[in-house]
Amino acid sequence: MSILFILFSGAAGAVSRYLAGLFLSKRFPADKKPLPMLLVNILGSFGLGIFLSLRAGTVPLDIYSDPWLITIGTGFFGAFTTFSTFSVEAVTLFQQKKWMFFLWYVSLSIIGSLAAFIFGFILFS
Amino acid sequence: MLLKNITAVALGGAAGTFLRYGINLWTLPAGYPFGTLIVNISGSFLLGFLTAWLAAKPMPSWVTAGAGVGFCGGFTTMSTLASDTVLLSAADPYAPLFYLAVSIFGGLAAALIGIASGTFFTKYQAKRRAGS
Repeated sequence: MSILFILFSGAAGAVSRYLAGLFLSKRFPADKKPLPMLLVNILGSFGLGIFLSLRAGTVPLDIYSDPWLITIGTGFFGAFTTFSTFSVEAVTLFQQKKWMFFLWYVSLSIIGSLAAFIFGFILFS
Repeated sequence: MLLKNITAVALGGAAGTFLRYGINLWTLPAGYPFGTLIVNISGSFLLGFLTAWLAAKPMPSWVTAGAGVGFCGGFTTMSTLASDTVLLSAADPYAPLFYLAVSIFGGLAAALIGIASGTFFTKYQAKRRAGS
């Protein structure tokens, strides 16, 4: 049963990311191409922080005993956010020698997602 | 057109998420978030390869969306990386820093190697076509 849940929640997370990317990319200039996924990652980490604090009250290693944590945490928010696009965009900025943009992009992606997760987690706890 | 892309992203996302879940379950006994490291680093390589390869090989947009946005995007994750980092901070103050450093340098290096391999593979294919 949980296999069906993870398939559907993963599909829902990926489609939400795709649609959010289409929506946001129209609102950013073409030379700021990586920014939509930066926002998606920050938003998704914030959402996972809120969800974990409400559902578990802790940051569990063993989330696999709770079907809700698997479905929403691993499935939806896991698929809504992405790391591979972050790496490829960062390497592309590096190859284009946009050093400052590269440094800002990497720092904001990691620190932003981490801060958003922590902020979401403490917001309701 | 959009519906076809959305369907491809949904299928790719479901497959990538399922595989990530399986790898996480498999590495769970280790008591360390190895699963997220494995998916993020290998997924970065795969997307790098696909990006370089598909740039030279025009494909219908649903193929690119399904494989890149769907599969690689669903396979890798930033939100679990954030929660794993917080989880590790309970153990030892240097553990989260080490985990982040391996994720970032590993992911960027994998993406770079993926792009280089994709470019190399494209050239190899072109050479073979020209030779035959």
